[in-house]
Amino acid sequence: MKLLAIVLKELRQLRRDTRSLVMIAMIPLIVMLLFGIGYSRESGRVGIGIVNLDDKPISWIFIDSIKKVQTLEIKAYGKSIEEGRRMVEEGNVYAVIIVPSGFTEGLLKGSSVQVLVIVDESITTISSVIRSAMFAVTYKFQEEIARNNKSEFIELIYNSVYGPKVTNLESFTPLVIGIVLQLVPTTLISIAICKEKERGTFEQLIMSPVSRFDIIFGKLIAFFITTLVDMFATLGIAVLLFNVNIKGQMLDAIMVSTVFLLGSLGLGMLISVLSRNQLQANQAAIFIFIPALLFSGALVPIDMLSPSARIIADFTPMYYFISAFRNIMLKGLSLWELSQQLSALTIYATLMMLTALIVLRLRVD
Amino acid sequence: MEYAIEVHGLTKKFGNFKAVDNLNLKVKRGEIFGLLGPNGAGKTTTIRMICGLMNQTEGSIKVYGYKIPEERKEAIKIIGYMAQRFSLYEDLTVYENMEFFGRLYGINGINLRERIIELLNFLELNEFKDRLAGKLSGGMRQRLALGVALLHKPKLLILDEPTAGVDPPIRRAFWGYLRGLNKEDVTILITTHYMDEAENCDRIGLMNRGRLIAIGSPRELKRMAFGGDLVEIKVQGRIDELKDFRILEKKVDGENCSLKILLSDASLELPKLLKYMDGAGLKILCAETINVTLEEVFIRMVMES
Repeated sequence: MKLLAIVLKELRQLRRDTRSLVMIAMIPLIVMLLFGIGYSRESGRVGIGIVNLDDKPISWIFIDSIKKVQTLEIKAYGKSIEEGRRMVEEGNVYAVIIVPSGFTEGLLKGSSVQVLVIVDESITTISSVIRSAMFAVTYKFQEEIARNNKSEFIELIYNSVYGPKVTNLESFTPLVIGIVLQLVPTTLISIAICKEKERGTFEQLIMSPVSRFDIIFGKLIAFFITTLVDMFATLGIAVLLFNVNIKGQMLDAIMVSTVFLLGSLGLGMLISVLSRNQLQANQAAIFIFIPALLFSGALVPIDMLSPSARIIADFTPMYYFISAFRNIMLKGLSLWELSQQLSALTIYATLMMLTALIVLRLRVD
Repeated sequence: MEYAIEVHGLTKKFGNFKAVDNLNLKVKRGEIFGLLGPNGAGKTTTIRMICGLMNQTEGSIKVYGYKIPEERKEAIKIIGYMAQRFSLYEDLTVYENMEFFGRLYGINGINLRERIIELLNFLELNEFKDRLAGKLSGGMRQRLALGVALLHKPKLLILDEPTAGVDPPIRRAFWGYLRGLNKEDVTILITTHYMDEAENCDRIGLMNRGRLIAIGSPRELKRMAFGGDLVEIKVQGRIDELKDFRILEKKVDGENCSLKILLSDASLELPKLLKYMDGAGLKILCAETINVTLEEVFIRMVMES
């Protein structure tokens, strides 16, 4: 009954708090909409330049096949290597492909030829797109020549698992849901206790026969009810508005999101118990979010980072959430097959809440 | 067990600073006890320790027989507390605040509703019951805070500077409520730095720099400070000495003479003095007891200690 009194009181206060309402309603909506609009269509073509010093039929056929690559767009033509290099340096294009003179002649004679690619390496995603596109074009071109010459070649056949193709939107959905489910609940609840201390209401509260359990869990329940709205909003926008396909059970996706949400609330509650004021609490919530994002495995797969990153990731709840959610969404796995992630998230949520409960002192200092 | 509060050797240190220093205090059941002293004297710290809001460094506290902090859980059920700062929820209405705290005290349903209405009527807050606490005036906030403190019908009311920053007429009205409650056997421990207000207390403890420098009723304190009651008598004629009485001050004004005389108890000795003067042939023009303010008492006591 006392627990219920606190739940009701918190919900009443949340309803009247514009700042919290904006955070609850607007942040997930804005983040999801921006994400959906920005990531849904992959027009993302990388601009390149061409310098054709050969200017003979086969080199133009080669350049035509570059034109057909979906990820590249020829933006400029140059006349010399120097001009090509300048185009990259000035940032007009991300790469310049230089076909040397004697390209056609060499191929007709059956000798090897070279194509120079000058790449801007400052953005690794873009340079790797260029590399793989150029690799594919060259491979295809060589295959064509080998076929015509009736000589032997190795043909690569790709056969995708979890395909046919995962869109950009789908591959980033787990991360965006993870961000919303960590940032919003943690920041929102992080002021729950320290606001009462700052305003002096804590003093009156603890003069009533209320227990630590009532305070912590009363507030947790109220914020859980509120942020559950966020969870369904984010999932709903992804599935209904942007047609993100969840291959596994929707219920499993909801389950794992709920457990992660509880963990975020537990973390926020612990921050609140330990903070002196609201400012400190907000800063802590954001500070903790940064490593969570870095080691979530969604920006760069953890396997591609150093071994110590692996250790940090093992203690990053967002890593488990994204891994579990990705597996449900893209691979269609069930929760039973994700027991490791699910139990890690459950332990995390329980640990946070219990620590907050133990650390809370019914005293003023 | 006739005391509401018993405090022995109470000390609170913040680092090297002693906010409360070896304080001994007994508050009787049914009295209004005031802790009086300037800001920073240690009144709030003392009250917070009695409420178990803060742990003492040394010393023992008992509230209605319950040890603090060990038996705080039991003690807070009979304590009604009003903090120095307004400490209710500004984003809840008057009624919602009372309802919330009422539920925490385990009062529910129809009982709670009736109790709240009873208190709102008593404190004349009924017409504001749906107003947000943050939108109340200072006097109304103070009454609401008192209402919350009274929800569970406490035996002991502990009020920390309840009248700070409130206009004098509202302060007077507030004391009206307190006296009303006191008549219903509620013991009241109140702190204030308004010396005039302390006159309303049955007994007062004077605090300065963490120490309790004197305890007594307002009248006792005044006697303590000056060693008795002061009376002023104007007579016609000259007088140099009085046999049994001490003259503190003498002013000669033409034929008249104005005297300040110290009596250990004016109510008993003033008639004797007047009779003696009469017998000595002095014509008494006027006689009155000098009303010493607690402020003067306080300043004198602080200087002595």
